[in-house]
Amino acid sequence: MLAYLARRLVRLILSLVAVSIITFGLLQLVPGSFSELAEAGTSELGGDASATDPALTERYGEQVPAWEQYLTFMRGLVTFDMGPSYRYPQSTVEELIIEAFPVSLSLAVPAMLLTLLIAVPVGVMAAVKKGKLADYGSVFTLTTLQALPGYLFALLLVLVFAVWLGMLPVRGWAGPEYLVIPVVALAVQPTAMLARYVRTSMLEELREDYVVAAQAKGGRRRVVLVRHVLRNSLIPLVTVAGPLFANLATGTVFIEALLGIPGLGRLFTTAARTRDMPLLMGTTLFFALIFLLMNLIVDMVYGLLDPRIRHQRSSGWRRPKPPRRLLATTSRGRGTPGHDAPDRSPAAPGDVEVARP
Amino acid sequence: MSELQHIPQGELGRGWARFKRNRLALGSLVFVGLLVAVALAAPLLAPYSYAEQDLTGRFLPPLSDGHLLGTDELGRDVFSRLIYSLRTALLIGFAAELVALAVALVIGMWAAYQGGRVEQWLMGFTDIMYAFPNYLFAVLLVVIMGRSPLSIIVAIGIASWVNQARLIRAQVLKIKTFEFVEALRSIGTSGFSIAVRHILPNAVGPLLVTTSFGIPLAIIAESGLAILGLGVAPPTPSWGGMIIDGYTYVLGNPQLIVAPLTLFGLTMLAFTWIGDGLRDAFDTGEEDRA
Repeated sequence: MLAYLARRLVRLILSLVAVSIITFGLLQLVPGSFSELAEAGTSELGGDASATDPALTERYGEQVPAWEQYLTFMRGLVTFDMGPSYRYPQSTVEELIIEAFPVSLSLAVPAMLLTLLIAVPVGVMAAVKKGKLADYGSVFTLTTLQALPGYLFALLLVLVFAVWLGMLPVRGWAGPEYLVIPVVALAVQPTAMLARYVRTSMLEELREDYVVAAQAKGGRRRVVLVRHVLRNSLIPLVTVAGPLFANLATGTVFIEALLGIPGLGRLFTTAARTRDMPLLMGTTLFFALIFLLMNLIVDMVYGLLDPRIRHQRSSGWRRPKPPRRLLATTSRGRGTPGHDAPDRSPAAPGDVEVARP
Repeated sequence: MSELQHIPQGELGRGWARFKRNRLALGSLVFVGLLVAVALAAPLLAPYSYAEQDLTGRFLPPLSDGHLLGTDELGRDVFSRLIYSLRTALLIGFAAELVALAVALVIGMWAAYQGGRVEQWLMGFTDIMYAFPNYLFAVLLVVIMGRSPLSIIVAIGIASWVNQARLIRAQVLKIKTFEFVEALRSIGTSGFSIAVRHILPNAVGPLLVTTSFGIPLAIIAESGLAILGLGVAPPTPSWGGMIIDGYTYVLGNPQLIVAPLTLFGLTMLAFTWIGDGLRDAFDTGEEDRA
């Protein structure tokens, strides 16, 4: 297990380095040197171009070759000193990220809870009523909901609750009432996706022999369903819920931009629009780190939850293909993650070994 | 003999026969066809130009003075802008998906067919692309390439091929094990020819399904970019742009948002139902098979 963890950590670091190189390389394609852009950025925003921080010029000035800028940045990443941002020269990149992250988290955590609270019962209900009207109805509704992006729901909620009923604020970030619309809007798509996943997972478990055994031994339907089937079918849920949370915690970009929420997504967007290179590098790597860490945690937790699964030697870069049953969902929901989770279903090939008695 | 001729031949024909029975999917297809027609005929249908401003007639309510859906904050006709925005959405949606599909086809098929080291490298690269959170890569690319329609198409396409490449690879890996591939190889058909002329036609169903789900995602990305201020440059209308512009005045003039929101939502639903219909028709999704 420890060796596995070590290998995974190495892979995580390699992935981060790759992401940083790609990002930095792409940013090099933007014409003009870093500090020129910095000046353009500040004067565009009404700032004084001559007041550019000397620390910026020293780090990203014209005379500094690109590879050195990259190394400086990466050193800063490790020593937690990424230097000032162009747009906000008085604060450093890490300060900006630390400031914005709690805002995004305060949306992501309630949205995640709401998702689980709704998705699990709906999924169970659909599975239990398999083939009946309630099943068809909920599957149809879920598919439909999953098709609409979160920002459309945010708009819909704004129109109903802010404009029509006047109950909630239209935009801004000043109190708990500002949380309602973004949290609900964020939760809709993940809820639809997760509920369908719970349904599929439940149906799969229901076919297992132990269900028949439990029923044969006189277990009441409800007890069998909750204590045996549901418990087992929630295990694969971890693989979806982890990346989902990473997605909520980082990528609320559109909703944050629309509703004027000063979270990570908006930090990234502002950095992109003002071409604030250090901040852009910083946020991109932070996002990638959260995604990769979440995947790692999911894999670890999964091994603990399901003792049938042992982590075997993972072969270099290759990851097993995603579960077949998720592909359909995946192809529609690139906005929703979870498809990079390895397949842990017992039939899956790859670097996860299933030991059956 | 005559009965036999009624059985549609080929993967596509059989899929279409099944697809036709799904009323919702068929209706959606008709709706999308209608949208395409409207987008193509935009100059004929739009009563005004999408950029024509009339600062004396700002925020006119719907149905007033020849403006079916009223006017926006610059006095532009909302109905005309809506028709033209359909052009933006569909053009970028279809084209970006085409770019993504092309990249995914090359990488997915090459990886699956070649195997070995090539596959490891290609799939490793796909993994790295996964570490970029959704849409962020598209934002990065637009920042680099600018806001012209072409660069937005390329940016969205490049940012969204990863899933499709994985799917194609999985399909090719499956088909590769079929006996006819072995037979072809035994008679000396070249690898390229097998992949393109024999494996690809057999994967047409799953490809259609991914495409039909990929187009709405590209449209969502395009409108999202516009919301971030990185969409097509004004005055070219796009749903995201209309939404973010109208949002400033949402309390007094909610109709400015309702119009693009409705059309946007309906379009998304139509594409999803088409995708669902295709998936059932080609039986590629195992999701609901229990």
